[in-house]
Amino acid sequence: MSAITVFSAKKIITMNPARPNATHVAVRDGRVLATGTIDEIAGWGDYTLDDSFANKVIMPGFVEGHCHLMAGGIWRYTYVGYQDRVDPDGKLWPGVKTLEEVLTRLKEAEMELGPDDALVAWGFDPIFLMDRRLDKNDLDNVSPSRPIAVVHSNFHLLTVNSASLSLANYVADMDVDGIALGPDGSPNGELQEMAAMFPIMRRLGIDLRELGRTERSLVDFGKVCNRVGVTTAADLINDLPDEDVAQMKTITDGSDYPIRLMSLLNGISQPADETRERALELKGKSTEKLRLGAVKIITDGSIQGFTARLRWPYHYNGAPNGIWNIAPEQLNVLVSVLNEAGVQMHIHTNGDEAIEVALDALEQAKIKKNRPDLLHVLQHCQMADRAQFRKMKRLGVAANLFSNHIYYFGDKHYELTIGPDRALRMDACQSAIDFGVPFAIHSDAPVTPMAPLFTAWCAVNRLTESGKLLGEYERISVDEALQAITLGAAATLHMDHEVGSIETGKWADFAILENDPETIGAENLKDVGIWGTVLAGEKHKIP
Amino acid sequence: MTVLAGFLGSGKTTLVNHLLRQADGPRIMVLVNDFGDLPIDEDLIAAKDGDTLTLANGCACCSMGAGLYKAFSTALDYEPTPDHLLIEASGVAEPKRIANFARAEPDLTLNGIVTMVDALNFQTTREDQRLSEIVEAQISSAHILLLNKCDLAQQQNIDICAEILRHVNETAPIIKITHGALSGDIFFGEGRSIDRLSETSNDSHSHTHETDFSRWSVATDSEINKATLKEVLNHLPPSILRVKGIFRATGESDLWVAHKAGTHIDISPLSMDSSFSGRTGFVAIGTKSPDFSNILDAAFHSLK
Repeated sequence: MSAITVFSAKKIITMNPARPNATHVAVRDGRVLATGTIDEIAGWGDYTLDDSFANKVIMPGFVEGHCHLMAGGIWRYTYVGYQDRVDPDGKLWPGVKTLEEVLTRLKEAEMELGPDDALVAWGFDPIFLMDRRLDKNDLDNVSPSRPIAVVHSNFHLLTVNSASLSLANYVADMDVDGIALGPDGSPNGELQEMAAMFPIMRRLGIDLRELGRTERSLVDFGKVCNRVGVTTAADLINDLPDEDVAQMKTITDGSDYPIRLMSLLNGISQPADETRERALELKGKSTEKLRLGAVKIITDGSIQGFTARLRWPYHYNGAPNGIWNIAPEQLNVLVSVLNEAGVQMHIHTNGDEAIEVALDALEQAKIKKNRPDLLHVLQHCQMADRAQFRKMKRLGVAANLFSNHIYYFGDKHYELTIGPDRALRMDACQSAIDFGVPFAIHSDAPVTPMAPLFTAWCAVNRLTESGKLLGEYERISVDEALQAITLGAAATLHMDHEVGSIETGKWADFAILENDPETIGAENLKDVGIWGTVLAGEKHKIP
Repeated sequence: MTVLAGFLGSGKTTLVNHLLRQADGPRIMVLVNDFGDLPIDEDLIAAKDGDTLTLANGCACCSMGAGLYKAFSTALDYEPTPDHLLIEASGVAEPKRIANFARAEPDLTLNGIVTMVDALNFQTTREDQRLSEIVEAQISSAHILLLNKCDLAQQQNIDICAEILRHVNETAPIIKITHGALSGDIFFGEGRSIDRLSETSNDSHSHTHETDFSRWSVATDSEINKATLKEVLNHLPPSILRVKGIFRATGESDLWVAHKAGTHIDISPLSMDSSFSGRTGFVAIGTKSPDFSNILDAAFHSLK
């Protein structure tokens, strides 16, 4: 029989209501054998005691149910965001709080580069666009000759210097939407949306989709997860060609790779029948650490980009309604085809009209064929009202809510995009609980940083960046939030029978914490220290 | 680059097949911004490589499923370089956003937005709250409007459709077609017929007439003022669908190219690598009318 290892801990939070706390957990063959006191566990036979966590708190490894592999690869570029972030190798990148600090950081990065490299930065925060906008002159001071491109945190804007502008022959009086002009009529360096950004990105080789595809990116993604206690993560859209699947399998198979990775097939890059066939084929390629077979469908855009599909009365500031990535009629067909074949769907819906259209499609599909084995998930689901939560309950549909938005964009939603009424009910965790809708909360990293305890803090406190309480009613308890980042998210990935709690038979996947999230205080949840993780009984200390 | 827009079922796919079947000479590359089947009739396909289909006549078709960035990269790096890029926009795409790629990208020239409307189902689609803005955007941003299925719709409905189109877009020519069929030179502009100007003498013009469309050309090596030309092109009536010309600009040594596609006008330097025959002049296509040639003769006479 295989050896038993018993970990002792100051406290083990199991998320198993039959035995919510324990002092010891026994692991055999990578799985949880038992939890409880050492006396109870001793009945299973000889064991080796590992007391390296004796002063720590053990929780189920966190589950990030919506992020992107790009969260690893993006770090090849220089970070110039407003918030502190830690890179995959543990280097803290303090947030840059003024334009001068942004430029100083760029100058430092510029000196490190080879003569032919372009300087690319990411994470630039729209907060700097309020009074004076960053422009080409600022960047020309960093370098007049080396092409520079600063990708904004929303990935929809780019600011470049004159050297970059001249690569694409951007000159005065072009009169192209998205190429912003300065007072002198010439491009000021700010480029809005892909059409205007593309010629420069192409010439500098900045391909954001490719960022998630390299071996290094996959490895870095694992490091990003490990640092925040995540042991299962879902990469929410991928074209998943065979060569990428093979690479993912090789890397995740490695015993040093610290997470179980789920990767979702892009459902709108081929006809519905082909998506179905490919999803079923991929499902068969799943391993213990690589999960395939679910499909992502993107319906609308983003609220902060004014591209989400809203119902009446639309945008607070009067901006035109957003965009569809798939016509409602085509969504109906796709959802029915996939549901019937038993393919789980994760449907991106930000605005309440997109949510309505997605729920209608799911309703029709489920009337045609009930598949009680499938839990389909509305991803983001930010603007759902209570009637829509009731409908989710009726249909057996889950929600993965974008709680980080409350902090990062909440002020903007209240003041500009959707106005107070709908901002107060955004990412409505309490409503999900009220009606018994299975739910999770997520970061969408790298859009916002991955850190489930921070995401939980957002759901519990609902404070915006400026400190405003956004929707008191929708706050949830710490226990409920911890449930959402473990079992709740595991359920949305069809993995709650394997991960998400520490109980007999499940994978021994743990988050090892320096503090107790149950007692540290709701306002301090985000500050819980993290030692690292355990995956299938193997320790992965943050280097 | 031409953007073909239009809502689901308007007949874009049929038109694309028609254009590809007709193509003899210019290499057309079609980017399909829909996740439907690649809309190419089986018998046209010579080879398939990943997302790209190659046709026997040198044309190609590529899916945009993996995103605009990848699709445009593929198209721009494609060998041999296509003569025309045709974007079959998704039924819910804003054609203006796609056309902006051609406006911004130095390696592309916008040849206009063509929006196709289905005379049978147009009104139902337009009344759908969830789709009305996008349908409106597709029509208002069009440089040429195609009203399709005119054989199937009742005359009364065709008239109502045309009236709504005119209301949303006051200037773009409206071409009524059936079975999604339109000849390539109207859709893409008269790419090759410039070279055929050599058949006519300097400062002369010729016209040929077909059933629904008239064609006109003039050879001229006079120097032309670009601003004046733009004015003249701007003031041509909607019945003049397309104009293309290569000319000597006043006070400049290089040759320039002028395109008019419906309401879209582009005047830019002739690229060095174009296979230019050496003849300068203009060609035009319009809907058949008694004064078609007179309008063009008068307009271009005023330039000299």
